[in-house]
Amino acid sequence: MRRPLIACKRSHDFCQKDGTGLVAVRAKAAIGSISLAMRITAAILLIGALQVNARGVAQKVSITGTNLPLTAVFHAIEDQTGYGVLMEKSTLEAAKPVTINLTNGTIDDVMKVCFSFQPWKLIYTISGRTISVSRIVGNTETGKPGGPIAPSEPSFLLGKVKTEGGVPLSGASVNLKGTRKGGVTDNNGNFSLQGIRPGKYILEISYVGYDTYEETIEVTGSAFTVTAVMREATNSLDQVQVIPYGSTTPRLNTGNVTTIKASDIEKQPVNNPLVALEGLVPGLFITQANGLPGAGATVRIEGQNSIDNGNDPLYIIDGVPYVSQTLPTTQGGVLGMSGPSLGGGGGAGNPLSYINPSEIESIDILKDAAATSIYGSRAGNGAILITTKKGKIGQMKVDLNLQEGIGKMPKKIAMLNTPQYLAMRHEALRNDGIASPSFTDYDINGFWDTTRNTDWQKVLLGGTAQYTNIDGSVSGGTANTQYRIGGTYHRETTIFPGHFSDQKASVHFNLNSISPNQKFQIQVYGNYLNDNNRLPAADLTGSAFPLPPDAPPLYKSDGSINWALNQSGASSWNNPVAALLSTYENNTENLISNCILSYKLLPGLEIKSDFGYTRLYTKEFTAIPLTVFQPEILPYVQRSALYSNNDIKSWIIEPQISYNRAVGNGRLNILLGSTFDKQWGMGDFLTGLGYNSDGVLQDIHSASSVLVNSTASYVYKYNAIFGRVNFDWQNKFLINLTARRDGSSNFGSKNQFHDFGAAGVGWIFSNESIFKRSIPFLSFGKIRASYGTTGNDQIGNYKYLNLYQPVTAGVAYQGATGLAVQGLSNPYLQWEATKKASAGIELGFIKDRILINATYSRNRSSNQLLQYSLPVITGSGGVSANLPATVQNSTWEFSMNTINVKAKYFQWRTSINFTIPKNTLLSFPNLNSSTYASFLALGEPLKVNKVFHSLGVDPTTGIYIFQDLKGNSTNSPDFTTDRMILVNTDPKFYGGMQNVFTFKGFRLDFFFQFVKQLARTATKYSYAGTFPPGHKKFNQPTIVLDRWQKPGDVSMIQKFSSTFEYYTPFSSIATSDAIFGDGAYFRLRNLSLSYQFDQQWLKNSGMNSCRIYVEGQNLFTVTKYYGLNPETQAINLPPLRMIIVGLDLGF
Amino acid sequence: MRFSSISFRTCVIILCVLLGSCKKFVQVDAPFTVTTANDVYASDATAAAVLTGLYTNLSSSDFTSTDFRNLSMYAGLSADELTLWNGTSIVWQNQYYTNALSANMSGAAFIPWNSVYPYIFTCNSAIEGLSSADKLSAAARSQLLGEAKFMRAFFYFYLVNLYGDVPLILGTDYKVNALMGRTSKDKVYTQIVNDLLDAKKLLDSTGYVQSDCITVYEPSVAERVRPNSWVASALLARVYLYMNDYPNAEEQSSILINNTNVYGLESIGNAFLRNNSEAIWQLQPVNVGWNTEDAKLFIIPPTGLSTSNPVYLSDTLLNSFEVGDLRKSNWIGNYTDVTGTYHYAYKYKDANLGDPVIEYHMVLRLAEQYLIRAEARAQQGNLSGSQDDLNTIRTRAGLTSTSANDKKSLLVAILHERQVELFTEWGHRWLDLKRTGQIGAVMSAVAPKKQGKWDSNWALYPIPVDDINKDPLLIQNQGY
Repeated sequence: MRRPLIACKRSHDFCQKDGTGLVAVRAKAAIGSISLAMRITAAILLIGALQVNARGVAQKVSITGTNLPLTAVFHAIEDQTGYGVLMEKSTLEAAKPVTINLTNGTIDDVMKVCFSFQPWKLIYTISGRTISVSRIVGNTETGKPGGPIAPSEPSFLLGKVKTEGGVPLSGASVNLKGTRKGGVTDNNGNFSLQGIRPGKYILEISYVGYDTYEETIEVTGSAFTVTAVMREATNSLDQVQVIPYGSTTPRLNTGNVTTIKASDIEKQPVNNPLVALEGLVPGLFITQANGLPGAGATVRIEGQNSIDNGNDPLYIIDGVPYVSQTLPTTQGGVLGMSGPSLGGGGGAGNPLSYINPSEIESIDILKDAAATSIYGSRAGNGAILITTKKGKIGQMKVDLNLQEGIGKMPKKIAMLNTPQYLAMRHEALRNDGIASPSFTDYDINGFWDTTRNTDWQKVLLGGTAQYTNIDGSVSGGTANTQYRIGGTYHRETTIFPGHFSDQKASVHFNLNSISPNQKFQIQVYGNYLNDNNRLPAADLTGSAFPLPPDAPPLYKSDGSINWALNQSGASSWNNPVAALLSTYENNTENLISNCILSYKLLPGLEIKSDFGYTRLYTKEFTAIPLTVFQPEILPYVQRSALYSNNDIKSWIIEPQISYNRAVGNGRLNILLGSTFDKQWGMGDFLTGLGYNSDGVLQDIHSASSVLVNSTASYVYKYNAIFGRVNFDWQNKFLINLTARRDGSSNFGSKNQFHDFGAAGVGWIFSNESIFKRSIPFLSFGKIRASYGTTGNDQIGNYKYLNLYQPVTAGVAYQGATGLAVQGLSNPYLQWEATKKASAGIELGFIKDRILINATYSRNRSSNQLLQYSLPVITGSGGVSANLPATVQNSTWEFSMNTINVKAKYFQWRTSINFTIPKNTLLSFPNLNSSTYASFLALGEPLKVNKVFHSLGVDPTTGIYIFQDLKGNSTNSPDFTTDRMILVNTDPKFYGGMQNVFTFKGFRLDFFFQFVKQLARTATKYSYAGTFPPGHKKFNQPTIVLDRWQKPGDVSMIQKFSSTFEYYTPFSSIATSDAIFGDGAYFRLRNLSLSYQFDQQWLKNSGMNSCRIYVEGQNLFTVTKYYGLNPETQAINLPPLRMIIVGLDLGF
Repeated sequence: MRFSSISFRTCVIILCVLLGSCKKFVQVDAPFTVTTANDVYASDATAAAVLTGLYTNLSSSDFTSTDFRNLSMYAGLSADELTLWNGTSIVWQNQYYTNALSANMSGAAFIPWNSVYPYIFTCNSAIEGLSSADKLSAAARSQLLGEAKFMRAFFYFYLVNLYGDVPLILGTDYKVNALMGRTSKDKVYTQIVNDLLDAKKLLDSTGYVQSDCITVYEPSVAERVRPNSWVASALLARVYLYMNDYPNAEEQSSILINNTNVYGLESIGNAFLRNNSEAIWQLQPVNVGWNTEDAKLFIIPPTGLSTSNPVYLSDTLLNSFEVGDLRKSNWIGNYTDVTGTYHYAYKYKDANLGDPVIEYHMVLRLAEQYLIRAEARAQQGNLSGSQDDLNTIRTRAGLTSTSANDKKSLLVAILHERQVELFTEWGHRWLDLKRTGQIGAVMSAVAPKKQGKWDSNWALYPIPVDDINKDPLLIQNQGY
């Protein structure tokens, strides 16, 4: 006998006292099976292993013995076959010992022998791996033994809950409707309910992610057995929703969470999974920095909480936190930023570009305190949980998905043609009183060929980007072990001339295995991606527009770059293709791995720990060959190359204990855990100078001198304890309490720790009988509310320390390295807290065919932790500080999902979401005497624009005029006093609408995104607002033709000028209310049409599935916006219009 | 709920282990790439490195940046010294040139305010750190404190001359500094004088020190790139002159002029070579492969004027040279293309990549001390002494003695001599016009030639609007 016997004995004593229990006899030697417990309603008892060697699971049983207790026989059965035996305890205890001599018998043989020794009639049933033995009572045909039992005597119900794949579901809720009987299944999916009076009942079993099982049962005898096969949820209310440290369903969640499934991500040809979320999620607003692969993307959940820093949500990938900003890249400005960089210096691009969208199973967007508070300090701006695809039980399945497509520039801006351009330039000179063009006015002084008329947008931006994505995976598994291994190759090119491309290769794997006794589980995830992004060092879009239409050809007849040299040998223009010779290369390797070990100590009690490791390594290279430079600059420049390496590693360990049990008719779930997280980063940024040729720029060894521009090193440590209590009373009342204590090394020792907490409640009123009776078409109704706090420590490292770092110099001054103060330090830094309140109602009608969700949330951030901007007289542009300001984000979120038509072959579904955000600066003590007075206003959004009031063009002088403080008109308004107009460019509302039609194998999806907003339309007044129309060698949009020409003219554009004389009014118009216009847009973001071949048809092809599809992204945009793109509102490459064809094969 | 005792104990132990949380875990040491303030002022070498870092930064910015060092170009454009290439599309270059500066300037514009105050912060934090440093050697502490005070005075001298009243910031507490108003010009000057007098006492008075801030170079190989007591005197002489304190100006400049073991006028051709005897204080070039940035900026290459070389000498300056002035033939180069002939400053002659470094960037030189003393003596009525000093400079330039023989004409002659001696050096001309009250007369005549207008308010540059907005106590200069 091994140690478990002790436990066995104790439990035996305990069982005897109970008297009415049921015994599940199991003999399978469990690894470290050390403990037991009893349930209040049913005593399910685990007995440790007897001295029987496991011989594997076999149907044949060999048992020999004299006067063996029945338990010993049953143990032997389980040991030899893996089949557990379930039997009423009192019967088992009263059973006579048996004498048996059986070799290679069947279970039936054993049972027959055993039953023959007993005084009563017994029967057994096998369901799954459970043998239920029950005593037949009452007047059945052979019911003599055991004597009569009164019909009113309580009976018991035995059951087994499993999936369609045969996997037992432990922890499923069992409820006998109309009684107070209920329980939870054990590790093997077994349950038992006691004391049931004979009669008809409805048995209800529910489990997260599965449709609720309902069966009408009629209890007649003393025992009744049930096997429930649970089907994966089809109702979206019951699909799995990933939440911190667990999962739930939309039906039972008290928090505000939106789940996006793979199907909505996969059909969009995007480089970054976040971009696929644009317009899909209420309360989530995403803005892409530009349309280059890997570009930055700003992500705001329920608005901007912090005045200028740390507004990123927390990203969790398969349980492991992931960076929200890229490493502080030293180059790569072409990619654009993902919002303002952090105090620590966020880099270009977006880190989620290094996550392969096709490996994502679901993305959960957590918004309110009930959902996020358990993440404490890190989720003040919400959280985005990304779950990758997992293997499923079944035969090995091979999937192959091939995509090929093209991308084009979606829009052009009408620019002046050569005759219009020349007329503008000459008119400008006339207005300035300049008789003839100067020597450097090459565009009009005859040096350039004025008969040329080039459409530079066509030449430079008219290319076609190629898109290729090949994605394959192998998956499968048994009931105990599932696996999935996938790989992807992705390549995208740009529309620019030249060989630029972003290539990614990624591997993803996961393994999930559980011990046969269902106690010990291990899950391993690994995601590795290698990205090689090769782009021009600058976005050519910016240079395409201002080029004069009569500018010279790009290349000379010999193929070299045409600088159109003047008489002195200096270039007469800045040839845009020269810039393409300066290339930017970003090589990133990203590894995210996690191992989760869990062990079920006792029924309902589980210990678990995550062990995560991530590494994000970025290597950048920028080549600056001599060919980039204009000839006149050559004496001052040398070949150079920039190299940077950045490496961030992190590990995280999150031990947790959870306890899950039934309390009366309710369910209690308690979680306790802690987090140990360490992140360390290293980086360097070098410049090489003095190479012999352009070909060796990649080799730093070929540089005659190397300049170390900067090095970086940091360590970030984070520690927390957290807890959560969930209580679900009869699927009617839901309570969720969370608390967390966080410590972060970003703060000095005085303020290192902080507490956060939240409460969420929900009431599923549709489960109340009064609503069921009075509103029969209401199939689901829930109201929920939550309140709590979350925090923010996104300020970068060491901000509390006063540090000095080495000064960069090519030649050391006096041969010594200098030190310089790194910036201002603030030892008093504290946590920022966001108080989040949220309430919502969720309704389902007509069997949930119409689902409506409305949420109002109000988040208030105070003690704002930010880079407090300072006048430069303090020696620095800012300091990290806590500001006693309060920012409020109130958001109305609506979503509606309907199944409009549900016929045999035809189905039509619609989803609409709609968000009305409002961002307000609620309080800011002494705002007017602070450094923020210039751009913030109380009661206004943080991003309010304080601008001049434009009075248009003065009809007399032809110059822009503005209203000054005293109400007079002026050409040069005072920036400090005259900006009296407040313009709000935050979206008024935004949302999306998706329609899905399926007809047999066809599926048609289209998805519109819409935003209502005011936008900056600088292009209306001049190309990008940089140079006044008529100024040297800069083309302008055709809208400038509406300019002032003579006194009395009423026009939008001031008179043309080639000098800087009217520059102040010109630059002031860009800071006036005139520059804002309707920026609303309605975009067909995605259209996809697919055909799934019939399985019958594929029968002999060797394939299990075959789908062909065509997808279009950003196909058209309806907008009144004057400019390239109402989303980025800038002159840079907009997200491309993509068309993809694809083939998805399953074997 | 009842657990068997073993499992209960097990659970308790597991709970304790797993849920442990310790304060130590979240404490981190400073990274190895940086030094904390406490450590910096704990050893001579790291403390010296702070000042070395300041000189390095001051020297490393090139002409395309917007750093303070561009004063030679931008103040020259504001005055009557330089002409701007008409092909430039850089707005603020044009604004400096036409004296049409906008208070809204920001970003890439040349704004000395924005580069000087961070330097002052470095000086202030060094002064604070050094004052409380008890682990440094007395010699190092004294020298470094002197350097920091000297540098602070140097920066305030330019601020007060470019902007008028400026916030006088002497500490590092940003909470105090962020709400500073403007301090009167007189008080700023008083602080400058005090700092320089302190520096004179604190700094080494035996020679030029090496990077360790203690060891003095052998005179023959001295790198004149770190301030010493004489450097402080040289700046003090200029400051007294600007304050119209002529006796003191004379006294301080005499210290330099009389120190003939160390200082003497070089020939015109050698005046800007590294460590020449005329040099009082130079900045060592730190950009790989280059001599001075001024040479790169001013010398017009064969391809002509461009955004890299956007200025040439004005006719006003060219016409003010007397016939036979060696400075015109030696310190001015010319370039001709189809659009005409352009003259450029050729004081620094080496603008070629990869040449050995033979020229250092001159900050203070002996010729100015002669002109300071000439002016101070003239103001005090010592006409012959003044003439002697003036003639020393003129003789070196190959000119005959001055014909000026009364105070008024001498002062005119000295101002003229300063114009042709100190052109394109640290904005001397712009500052001289202002302090002598000549600016209105001169600029009214010059502005129209530059397609600009003149308003007496524009003698002061505007304070950047960013700071005006962030500090409610800062008031903009008139006219902006």
